[in-house]
Formats: sequence, C-alpha cells, structure tokens
Amino acid sequence: MAVRPDEELVAAALGGDSAAFSELAGRHRPRVERICQRFFSDPEIARDIAQECFLRAYTALATYRAEMPFTGWLRAIVINLCYDELRRRKRRPEELIGDFSAPEVQWLQMVNDATPEELVGAAEERREAHDLAHRLLDTLRPEDRMVLILRDSENLNVSEIAGMLGWSEAKVKIRAFRARQALRKQAERMMAAGRTGKQP
Amino acid sequence: MNCFEARQDFPAFWRRSLDSDRRAELLAHMKGCAKCDRAFRTFALTAPVLYSDAEPKSRTTARPIARDARRIAAVSGAGAGARRWLAMCASVTVIAAASFAAYLSVTAPVGSLTDELADTETSAQLFEQDFPASNSDFGS
Repeated sequence: MAVRPDEELVAAALGGDSAAFSELAGRHRPRVERICQRFFSDPEIARDIAQECFLRAYTALATYRAEMPFTGWLRAIVINLCYDELRRRKRRPEELIGDFSAPEVQWLQMVNDATPEELVGAAEERREAHDLAHRLLDTLRPEDRMVLILRDSENLNVSEIAGMLGWSEAKVKIRAFRARQALRKQAERMMAAGRTGKQP
Repeated sequence: MNCFEARQDFPAFWRRSLDSDRRAELLAHMKGCAKCDRAFRTFALTAPVLYSDAEPKSRTTARPIARDARRIAAVSGAGAGARRWLAMCASVTVIAAASFAAYLSVTAPVGSLTDELADTETSAQLFEQDFPASNSDFGS
C-alpha cells in the first residue's frame, strides 16, 4: 500500500478522521522524541513533551499551511515546548564537577586516553557518556543550548534558525559562538577531573 | 587535510558516515596534530547527545538511586509505552469529538430547519402581501 503523504493525512485529520492524525503522529513520533532527548536526559520528561507536542499540533492543525513541510512545522512546536521547559528549570553550572559515579570517571578517563575509534564505539554502549553530555549542556543558558541543538543536531543554517526563533542572524551567530566557547571551557574542566579520577 | 577540514569531519566520523579514505585521512591527521586530537576529545563529551541518532541501550552499571529506579520502573514497565500511546489517542479522540460537537452546534440541522421555517413563514407572509387571498381567486 502506498504511503500517504503528510499533507494528505493533515487534510483527512482536519476533516475529522482521527485515525489519519494517529498515523501522522506515529510516523513523526520517533523524531520528535529524539529532539526532546537532546534537551532532557530524563526519558520520562522527553516523552511527556513529545506527547504535549502532538496534542498542540492536533489543536493547531488548522493553522498548518501545506507550503512548508509538516516536519518543519512540527519541529517548531517541539522546539518551543523544550525551550519553555528549559527556561522553567534552573541551570546548575556549579554541579558540573565533583559528583561523578565510578562509570562516569571511567568514561572520562577513556575520553582522555582512548583512540578516537574506541571512543565512538564506547559512547554508543555507555549511558554515562550520554548523562555527562547532558550535564555539560545543562551548564549552558537555555537559548545557547537551543541554538547549538538546532545548528549541530538538526543541521539548520543560521538564517533558518533566525527565522524560527525570530532573532537576527547576528544574534544566532553570537549565541552559537558563546555557547561553543562556554562548552569548551566546561569540557576542559570535566576532562581535567577525569585525569585526576575525581570521585565522590 | 588541514585542521579546519579535520574538525568539519568530526560529526560524520562520530556518526560513522565518513568513507574509508576520508576516515583514514582524519585519523592520520589527529595522530599527528595534538590540537585536533584534543578538540576531538572535547567534542566527544557532548557528541553522545548532539550528534548521536539513538540513545545508548542501557547504563553499564545500575545507579543505586531510588528515584532513578522508580522512574526506570515506571517508564520501562510492560505496556507502559502502549498505555501512553493509547492515552494520547484517547485525548485526540476526545478533542475531535468536542470539536465536532462545537461544529454541529453552529451548523446543525436544527438551526437550518429553524432558518428554513422562518424563511418559509416570511415567504408565506410576503406571498400573502403580494397576493392577498381576496385577489388570489381572481374573483369575479
């Protein structure tokens, strides 16, 4: 059976066909959840926000215009929700160092000593690599984190990000630059902790 | 390969999407360039979130934190995903039903019938005005 395009499913959902919307949500759910997971390490929060995203999408479906891809429209919704949630939470940059579990210290030692190929393989298997990455990203301001995710993970260019956030392109570039600088500084601190094997 | 090109390739290397020649070139560059090697290690600290397409399968060792354990149990319990999905579908169905009800309240046949009756009445009155009963039989 041929796959129905997103636009056709949207039209059907607007006509009252809730199964069409379920199909649409099922199709885009993994991608939406993945975006949420880049913002939040807690899988439960990521799933809740993904769910909220589809509820918002359903209630705002009439505002969707078929000229733009449905994925982009949905991404704007989920990014806004994640950004709101990030702003609601307090950043705790002071918690970056000083509370590493044994597996986390092991991972930091690997980052210092292993070959690049070993690092790529190990990161796929280690949950702590993921947790520490979140811990580093948690030190950023919400808008800086959002810009990095849109630029690096979602592969959007500066003008696309500026359009999505309603910022100037200069602001996007400055935010991205500052975010990378801050991240590099914190990563160096974390790696130094890994070299000394600091543990609670 | 220069340092700029090498660093541009980090994301593709992390995602294992570099072709073998380019990959070998990058590895050779990092072996000979301490700055790029360092930059890659810094990159590797955030790459699991920013550049990986999937979550890691599990923790290598369980963390003895009760809160985490409860959360994991709640999320990974049998059918938890299906229940969550069903709940979302149910919500969507309720919203759809509410929207449809609202739609009916505006354009429902009841309203149309009333309008029709009103129209009929008005038409009859107009008809009576234009053609009074006394004239309608073209009485002699």
